[in-house]
Amino acid sequence: MSKIRLEHVSMRFGDFYAVKDINLEVEEGEYITVLGPSGCGKTSLIRVISGIWTPTEGRVYIDGRDVTGVPLEDRDVGYVFQNIALFPNMNNLKNAEYGPRVRARPPEEGEETAKKYLSLVNMLDRSGMFPFELSGGEQQKVAIARALSSGSKIIMLDEPLSALDARVRMELRYEIRRIVKELGITVLHVTHDQEEAMSVSDRIVLMKAGTVHDTGTPIDMYRNPQSVFAAYFIGETNLLEGYVDGRTKNGWTKVRLRGGKTVKAEKTDLANGDPVVISVRPENVYTADDGIRADIVNVVYMGTYWRVRTVAETGDYVDYNVSDNLTPPKIGDRVTFVFNKSMTQVFERPKEGLTEAISLE
Amino acid sequence: MSLLDRINRISDNSGARKAWFGLVVAIFIFIIVIPSVYVITQIFADWDGVSAVFNDSGKMSVIWRAVAVSFGLAFVVTIFDIITGLPMAWIMVRKNFKGKNVLDTLLDMPLAFPTAVLGLSVLMFWGAPEGVDIPGLGLHLSPFMMLILLHIIFTYPYMVRSLSGILEQIEPNYETAAMTLGASRWTAVRTITLPLFRAGLVTGFILCFARSLSETGGTQIALKMLGVNSFYFTGPTYIAEHKTSAVIATPEMILISTILIIFALLLLVVARSIITRMGVSTEKVWPELGRRLSHGAAPVAKDSLAVLILFLFVLIPSFYIFTYLTDPGSVDTGKLISTTATSFFIAGTAVAFDIVFGVPVAIYIARHRGDRLVHILDNLVNVPLIVPTTALGVSLALFWSAATADALPALVLVILGHISFTYPLIVRNITGAVEEVDPSYEETAMTLGAKPFQAFYKILLPVIKTSVIAGAILAFTRSLGETGATQAIAGSNVDTVPIYIVGLVKNGQYPEAAMASIILIAICFVMMLIVRRLTHRGGSRNA
Repeated sequence: MSKIRLEHVSMRFGDFYAVKDINLEVEEGEYITVLGPSGCGKTSLIRVISGIWTPTEGRVYIDGRDVTGVPLEDRDVGYVFQNIALFPNMNNLKNAEYGPRVRARPPEEGEETAKKYLSLVNMLDRSGMFPFELSGGEQQKVAIARALSSGSKIIMLDEPLSALDARVRMELRYEIRRIVKELGITVLHVTHDQEEAMSVSDRIVLMKAGTVHDTGTPIDMYRNPQSVFAAYFIGETNLLEGYVDGRTKNGWTKVRLRGGKTVKAEKTDLANGDPVVISVRPENVYTADDGIRADIVNVVYMGTYWRVRTVAETGDYVDYNVSDNLTPPKIGDRVTFVFNKSMTQVFERPKEGLTEAISLE
Repeated sequence: MSLLDRINRISDNSGARKAWFGLVVAIFIFIIVIPSVYVITQIFADWDGVSAVFNDSGKMSVIWRAVAVSFGLAFVVTIFDIITGLPMAWIMVRKNFKGKNVLDTLLDMPLAFPTAVLGLSVLMFWGAPEGVDIPGLGLHLSPFMMLILLHIIFTYPYMVRSLSGILEQIEPNYETAAMTLGASRWTAVRTITLPLFRAGLVTGFILCFARSLSETGGTQIALKMLGVNSFYFTGPTYIAEHKTSAVIATPEMILISTILIIFALLLLVVARSIITRMGVSTEKVWPELGRRLSHGAAPVAKDSLAVLILFLFVLIPSFYIFTYLTDPGSVDTGKLISTTATSFFIAGTAVAFDIVFGVPVAIYIARHRGDRLVHILDNLVNVPLIVPTTALGVSLALFWSAATADALPALVLVILGHISFTYPLIVRNITGAVEEVDPSYEETAMTLGAKPFQAFYKILLPVIKTSVIAGAILAFTRSLGETGATQAIAGSNVDTVPIYIVGLVKNGQYPEAAMASIILIAICFVMMLIVRRLTHRGGSRNA
């Protein structure tokens, strides 16, 4: 039995659907990240699960029980806010004790629970301080301890790291994963940072315009995205437009790019003449003596590699990487490149047009 | 070169800016604060007269009783406002419903009524002038009860406004967070939101208390209609009843004014420290009780009750005077027009002065928080607000006649008086608004080459414009409704509308008074509409 199950859940405000017809199952102990561009309904989704909002349509089940009408205070779903929202009139210990206290647990037990979780997030020595005396990262740790000590087995993290410094963000995300895995807690973590989603989750739920666009493990989502949008939003990719132009003996799809060059790409069962988009990640593009001609328009040093941007003869932008220890080409140079056909995806070109399909709005 | 250009250039000079701020602060202190409390010095100047009154136990018992009535009244009314205003503030801030805008406007309406009109209207509603009896209920309302019912009306909007102002600032996520941790809404509000409310409570408390303590016109009318005005006093009506044209201030007036001022100032300090220290225990919780109060009938009952109280105790008694439209009295039109013109002239001049000399002080206070001098300045602004306006009028009349040897005409004195008690309203409003504006907007403007005055005029002013207008409307209506200060300063030399209406009521001409009131309300209403329309258009032009 799944821990959380959503059936046709929608949240409508007037004519606008914040989330629309969502079906989702989450297993016990799973760490899920909900990923998507701003305004795609990520936060609405976890607000509906936690009971802050009651969905306008559909049902929410927790442990198999229909909790759609259960008020938020009885739903037992922890929630960590982007703006942290520690109670400013209480010190950190009182904050962490709040959950046990409002459930009328004996005071000693409440204090013990609070201290246990504060020490789990390494904040026990700060328990007498007030939230405003802590840094952002420390505050968020206390907020997590507060959510945990209320005894919830499910926790929603609403962009918990986005208000923090880059360095703190990195450290804290692994810390959070370690703690919730240790406790066997089920997590839905909302983020718009695809790197964060990639590095902490068991499974990514990719949302777009209020609907679940795609879902899968980070490796699946990166290697075998099911749509142009997924390929574009998770990681970086080059998109080349063309038409199916037959098949090789081994089954590779031949695609004729704009400008007339034909390349081999992923095996598909698309028909001849179908408009398609090839997605190939920059790390799978190599310069060679022969191939597609391209002019270098920009070279950026990224630390471990150089990111080179070109305009190919097909009219598409194509980026590739040059290792840090090599000398990168100069702007204005002409190169020819090839790519690894087994590391490509071929998608049917979206009917609404490529620009629209990958638009983040 | 245009005037604005010239000001722009001058504003670039830091010496000129300092001189301007110095001037503004000096005006605030010498024209507003000191005259407001000058009466205290008269205790010593007129020692013989005052001590004669002080030793006259008959007179003193009347004075002490009047002071007790005033403070008791203000206290009861303020507590009532807090209890009933809190749920109302919640409804206005956290709830969305159809007709919220209408309710929002209705809430401000009692502020636009001259209190003299309210006095009349309330008395009519609750059963006067024949003596207040509610036979069906076997209730007989004492003058004190009657005054409570009256004072609720013009203090309640202040309380709801200042409480909603604070509630808007409190992060709603705190409550949501508490609820995700298992607290019912009632428990969340009690343990999290209410403790964060203290600052708002202090402001609301001071505003309501001061308003009730100052009120003269409406109270006078109510007491007159009850027929108890010759022996039942509040502090302000005592002063108003003892005002004679022979002298500026009798020893009785000096004494009671001083008592009222000193008590009011003490109260300001005490209330602030009590409310900020008062601990609502958040330790104990009652989950079952909280749950029952948060779901089902209880919250609906609470909201309905809040709305019911608003209508029954505030709105309907205020508007009750409109029933007199069926029985129009014959109004002396010429007299009404001339007194209205005087009132508008006084209010308009006072508000213009407040804006020119109040906005710089407000900005200075908002932008220099933490500075010791600013802290003092900030507290001084409250002084004319908490001093009962009648006492303030007595004080002002004494100060200016001493300072200028009676050279100033009565009208100018009245305007100075009205400046004193309207100035804090504008400064309070604008300080709050400026604190919300990120100073980096002006800094950005100046990095782009704007002169300091340009940055103020082009950036800050448009942003805070709505608060300036809200403050101006508040101050204007407050001035328009004021009776006590005008009477204390000018006796019968300056005829404003409220004084004219109070006079009609004193002569028993109730229908005429009602009619005059209705006309005045209509004028106020149209004026507020025009201001809203004008500012709205201004807003879209700037956008």
